[in-house]
Amino acid sequence: MKFNFSYTIDALPRLLEGALITIEIAVIGFILSLTIGTLITVFRTVSQSKLLNAILAVYISFIRGTPMLIQIFLVYYALPAIDFLPGPGELRVDMGPVTAGIVAITLNSVAFVTEILRGGLAAIHKGQYEAARALGLRNYPLWRKVVLPQLFMKTIPPLVSEFTQVLKATPLLAMITVVEMMRVSQQIFSANYHPVEVLSGAFVLYFLICFAVSRSSIGLERRFAVRRF
Amino acid sequence: MSIKNNIQPLVELFDVRKCFGQTVALGGVNLSVARGEVVCVIGPSGCGKSTMLRTINWLEVPDSGEVVLEGQPIGIRIGQNGKVSPQASKDLNKTRSRMGMVFQQFNLWPHLSVLDNITRAQKIVLQIRKEDAEKTAHRFLRQVGLSDKTHALPDQLSGGQQQRVAIARALAMDPILMLMDEPTSALDPELVGDVLSVLQQLAEDGMTMIIVTHELGFAAKFADRILFMDKGLIVEEGPPQQLLQNPETDRLKLFLKQLGTMNLKFS
Amino acid sequence: MDLDFRIILDWWPLILSGFKLTLVIVTGAILLGIPLGGLLAFGRQSKFKIISILATAFIEIFRNTPFMIQVFLLFYVLPFYGIRIPANIVGIIGLALFGSVYYAEIIRAGIDAIPRGQLESARSIGMSHWQSMTNIVLPQTMRIILPPIGNQTLSLVKESSILSTITVQELTMSALIVQGQTFRPFEIFIVITLLYWGLNELIATGLRIYERRLERRSLSDLASA
Repeated sequence: MKFNFSYTIDALPRLLEGALITIEIAVIGFILSLTIGTLITVFRTVSQSKLLNAILAVYISFIRGTPMLIQIFLVYYALPAIDFLPGPGELRVDMGPVTAGIVAITLNSVAFVTEILRGGLAAIHKGQYEAARALGLRNYPLWRKVVLPQLFMKTIPPLVSEFTQVLKATPLLAMITVVEMMRVSQQIFSANYHPVEVLSGAFVLYFLICFAVSRSSIGLERRFAVRRF
Repeated sequence: MSIKNNIQPLVELFDVRKCFGQTVALGGVNLSVARGEVVCVIGPSGCGKSTMLRTINWLEVPDSGEVVLEGQPIGIRIGQNGKVSPQASKDLNKTRSRMGMVFQQFNLWPHLSVLDNITRAQKIVLQIRKEDAEKTAHRFLRQVGLSDKTHALPDQLSGGQQQRVAIARALAMDPILMLMDEPTSALDPELVGDVLSVLQQLAEDGMTMIIVTHELGFAAKFADRILFMDKGLIVEEGPPQQLLQNPETDRLKLFLKQLGTMNLKFS
Repeated sequence: MDLDFRIILDWWPLILSGFKLTLVIVTGAILLGIPLGGLLAFGRQSKFKIISILATAFIEIFRNTPFMIQVFLLFYVLPFYGIRIPANIVGIIGLALFGSVYYAEIIRAGIDAIPRGQLESARSIGMSHWQSMTNIVLPQTMRIILPPIGNQTLSLVKESSILSTITVQELTMSALIVQGQTFRPFEIFIVITLLYWGLNELIATGLRIYERRLERRSLSDLASA
């Protein structure tokens, strides 16, 4: 059999639409997880709550110890099966596939983001807190003006890497009927019986997206760089 | 001092040059070492003495010039039509096995015992049988005074002990030449003496040695010749008494003044 | 909410066979992936420009694409060229290729961790490059890289669930089958999740014990010096 490039070209418009969905889902999920992750990190550092840290430890171990696909299935299939109201009346979570997908991605990514931020926080000199406190800065400005900017600048590479991981997780959502690039490919080649040509196109697109993102890490670092002295 | 055989020099360097990027490490070094000679190389940091030593066994490849061992060029092969090409690795390895090298950081292999360190190369490079290799190992361990450490691991030994094992490891290959790159510089002062006694023994036994060192006391007593290098060139050379007591060049005078050469005993 | 865990008992043989296949596939992927990673690591350092470019390209391609599309492509490409192999084997190969690029980096780091001086003393005593590698560098590298290799194994276990998308009957596929047959997602996914999590914790604990033993050994050396 010969590779017929025209099938790849024909598939391209729809693949690009799928790519757009892929990127949208990844970005939404990542922004949510970054926000939640930052809030958790600030809260756990300020409150020093042993309970919170214990819960987080279990949560992170769970997320890191189970396959992403299973997590997606749990959110899409198992979560709606839970009735939160015992007895008469029902309270269930009702999510479409896209919502479920974003929720699963966010819940997954939050664990990694919290760990990344925790590592970055540990690297910031403790003296910073003490100096800022001595100058009269209380919590909110302390965090906003002193700690968080440094934290994010330090953690750009691992965060970009985590975003790449999120991008690479999006095709799994095809298994819960989300029409992102992978699902689009399946739809196309189940109609034209040329999986290799279509998948190759999707493969190249995934590569270009992820490669561009990981290369941007250097550019981002430069843009947000704090002047060294 | 040993009687030297001056018929054919053992090692020769002809106009050896080497640059690292923009820096000139060796600016045209010429050297001739006779069999049985003990040559000490001194000079300020960055003068090229280590680089020069390392070109002798081709750990550094010169940009130009020749290194010759017993009349045969090292590292290059001259074809029938006169064309120069890199030496085959098999031949280079063989040549290297005839030279022993001792490093400032000892470079023992930490996952092997002292005995294995000394026998491994004998077995795989010289194809010596295990029993014979071990016999040789025991002999040299006795010579350097470490028979009781035969089965120890390198990280269980002091710096001086490790260096002596490194010397035994090199000697076990029955080399015709010993190259030493600041053998005592990484040692605590009280351990230096043990290593120097081993080197003294080697010198008295007639081993040809080229030693890069800061130990002027040792050089004064046991070197047949001292080379003073600066900025990639041999600036002055001569017997210890002449060089150390009556330095000619200003650079050597300055260097000796900075080191302080009082109380040097000459042989 | 009514839970009926009896269905787990009913379907246990399928779950167990899925679990076993997961283990087999991951083991196969490790056995294939590590040597492949070694080849990549050496290929990257090769003096021949073409080999090093190919190796680097291979690594970049496999790191910047989702595993799912790698196995899909592999699954459909092989029959395309007339090669017919069972899905399980395709799964092992796909997982091995995926893992090899991470193994390559681990092996490279392990080799670089060995101080250059040791290599120099080996070469200056007359050992060939190959002899220096096999006698001096690699034995030490093997010991160092075991923890990161172990970590990568955890990653492979998780990625193996994606093989369910190319009809491999491993643990995740078992879950999907049971769900499809019983219409009860909750019980089965909880059990599968616990199985994966348990396996992961087992491997992670094993690694921790190994690392602690390594620390203890080097401490005792210091004590007896």
